[in-house]
Amino acid sequence: MSIPVTILGGFLGAGKTTALNHLLRRGRERIGVLVNDFGAINIDAHLIEAAEADLVALSNGCVCCALGPDLGASLDRVAARQPDRIVIEASGVADPWRIAQLVRLEPGMTLDAVLVLADATSFAAQSRDRYVADTVARQVARADLVLLSKTDIATTAELHASRAALLQLRPDVPVAEIHGGTLPDLVLGNPAPAGSRFVADAPEHGFRTWLYRNDDAFDEDRLRQMLASLPSSVLRAKGFCRLGDIAQLHLLQLVGRRFTLAPWPHPAEPGLVLIGTDRMPADADLAAMFERAKRPESPRP
Amino acid sequence: MQAPVQVFVARRVITMNPAQPFATHVAVRDGRILAIGGLDEIGDLGPVELDTRFADSVVLPGFVEGHSHLFEGAVWRDPYVGFFDRRAPDGRVVPGLKSIDAVVARLREVAAETASSDAPITAWGFDPIYFGGRRMNLADLDAVSRERPVVITHASIHIMNVNSKAMALAGLDASTDLDGLVRGLQGEPTGELLGPEAMGHIRRRVVADAFGRKLDADAMARFGDLARQAGVTTATDLVSDMSDEIVETYRTVSADPAFPLRLAPALAARFFGVPEGVARWQQLQALGSDTLHFGLVKLVVDGSIQGFTARVRWPGYHNGAPNGLWYVAPSELGGIIEAYHRAGALLHIHTNGDEATELAVDMLERTLIAQPRPDHRHTLQHCQMPDPALFRRIKSLGLCCNLFANHLYYWGEEHIAQTMGLARAMRMDACGTALRMGIPLAIHSDAPVTPLAPLFTAWCAVMRLTSAGRVLGEGERISVADALRAITLGAAYTLKLDHLVGSLEVGKFADFAVLAEDPLDVEPMRLKDIAVLATVRGGDVFPAA
Repeated sequence: MSIPVTILGGFLGAGKTTALNHLLRRGRERIGVLVNDFGAINIDAHLIEAAEADLVALSNGCVCCALGPDLGASLDRVAARQPDRIVIEASGVADPWRIAQLVRLEPGMTLDAVLVLADATSFAAQSRDRYVADTVARQVARADLVLLSKTDIATTAELHASRAALLQLRPDVPVAEIHGGTLPDLVLGNPAPAGSRFVADAPEHGFRTWLYRNDDAFDEDRLRQMLASLPSSVLRAKGFCRLGDIAQLHLLQLVGRRFTLAPWPHPAEPGLVLIGTDRMPADADLAAMFERAKRPESPRP
Repeated sequence: MQAPVQVFVARRVITMNPAQPFATHVAVRDGRILAIGGLDEIGDLGPVELDTRFADSVVLPGFVEGHSHLFEGAVWRDPYVGFFDRRAPDGRVVPGLKSIDAVVARLREVAAETASSDAPITAWGFDPIYFGGRRMNLADLDAVSRERPVVITHASIHIMNVNSKAMALAGLDASTDLDGLVRGLQGEPTGELLGPEAMGHIRRRVVADAFGRKLDADAMARFGDLARQAGVTTATDLVSDMSDEIVETYRTVSADPAFPLRLAPALAARFFGVPEGVARWQQLQALGSDTLHFGLVKLVVDGSIQGFTARVRWPGYHNGAPNGLWYVAPSELGGIIEAYHRAGALLHIHTNGDEATELAVDMLERTLIAQPRPDHRHTLQHCQMPDPALFRRIKSLGLCCNLFANHLYYWGEEHIAQTMGLARAMRMDACGTALRMGIPLAIHSDAPVTPLAPLFTAWCAVMRLTSAGRVLGEGERISVADALRAITLGAAYTLKLDHLVGSLEVGKFADFAVLAEDPLDVEPMRLKDIAVLATVRGGDVFPAA
């Protein structure tokens, strides 16, 4: 089984370390984290099961490892512990998409998403800074999702300025706000696609989910066009759907502006879940968009 | 019982001590200079052994290479396929290959020598910029082998060429999304790969090229062989991870009486968190010796100019390429500098582009105001593009510069055409400006990026000729005497080893470069052609041949 890999990027001070600390401590999945600054990770002593020079194993099944100069070797080290997910912290000046490109070439791994954190209190200033403006622009340019952090301490003016700066860099950029330095589960993605329980918990603050249950087949071209034109308030989509004249089952995975539709050879119940910000179109509008992507007369399996 | 006194006699000794610039006799005891001058100065030493083997030669302080990598000794395990002739550790001069066809023919020979093998073929030093725009492609290297992966690393170390087999092994094809994958007009990969990410992928999945392997004692010995032939007696290893293993290798190799060099490795900050790096540097201080010096810390702020990854100021790259990359966050640089500065380390800071240099100067200024440290000797490495105003700030802060004079020859034409344009290229590696301002100056090869050969490096700073024969920045040329100082005492000063090496004075180590001709007498154009006959480390003679 392929291990999903999430890249966490963003400039210094955007909150990457805070988010990773939280992720490790919570241990909802067995996560293997590759961190850029190993010294900054602060794990409660009682959680530490085993520690080496640049690797810490936690009692909750998570493992945290220093990201060495050789990304591949570091990935191998973490993958050997068979985590449910790997999260790679990009350096504050790196373009995280370049790491994603390498991950996609790794056998046994699947790129889940490139998440870029942006500090709501300072992103606007960074995007004008003579030294770092182009660096943060490159990080945003190919991010799947931008997560505005520190929204709880940013002034309204700072928040508006940060959003405006992001849109100026990239008008179609999907942006979500996060609170308390924590990566919401919905944003981290990977809600189990099998079965009927797509979303276990109530949506987190500032996010909405929408479920679509339908056994009719979509027209592949129409569906692709529709997915490509979804508003940036749709952050993720995942689930199974039928495509084409033989109603072949496909797995849809969408994060930000990027999606894959791959034939799914196993039995599964069709149904999709969309995760978005609270600006996501109304349920009825979303339903209408998906209805219009169906085949004119949908064959049944 | 005193050790015997050995007196070397030379046609002329150039001391680099302005109070006594020339001599004919150097007396040595216990590896150090006991007396220097003429017959008078050695007349009161009691019995001496006169060594006349250099009586017809010219003796200088052993050259100090202030920016090299011991990897130069490791790359020679693979065939060299560069454009220029280059001396191998065994003394052979490997002829340059003047066309892609010649490179392919050479690699076919290499493949034939190991015909029974299915092992990968790797080579290094390739430089297509002299081939009139023609780039190497997959078909070229498929002509070497279709069954074995072929991986060629360019001279710049920032680019690779591979064959179809290597592409397949690496899982790369036209559909691959990878920034460093160079494509042709139809979007098809050409087999050229740019940058550390794409090259790292090849090293991992196909084969480690010469630059992806481990540095070991054998590689250091080969570096010593090259140094001996180039007149170098002190050399830096300017990026080191300072693992226990490598530190032990430095100690073993440098303690060997048959090794002709003193080593000054630099702890590369990027391998450590800041507190861990400072702690490691402090541990290392107890592990040095007369032949091993651990004072240096290396920071890398940006990339390279010819790779378009250096951070440059207005008006940016001449060909419109986007600005380069920070290798450390601008907001973090100040804290890193301060931590190592406070610990007492001597910082060697790589800045190629002038924006990177300006940032480093800003951060050094902040640290030096908060934490003044007389005689810090912090040094800007490469520092290829500052304008005079930035050099004035460098002077004011007491910083040293080690400029990349060899770039003028090897990439000068490229800088004119692609990276900087003529006007800015003329001020690159501005040795003249630095000296006019009184900035302590060294010049370097960055071996293996360019060959370890300080007389050639001095020639570059004196002549400023590109490989096409054009003078690049007449106003930045320096005198032969100044250039010789830059490759001896100047470089030693930047390493804070000038009390030990770099000039010939009583009390300092008896480290010499022995030359067949007097560099102050020959036509400056011939400076690079002067034969190195031997080196001397601590009184022990190492013949060049």
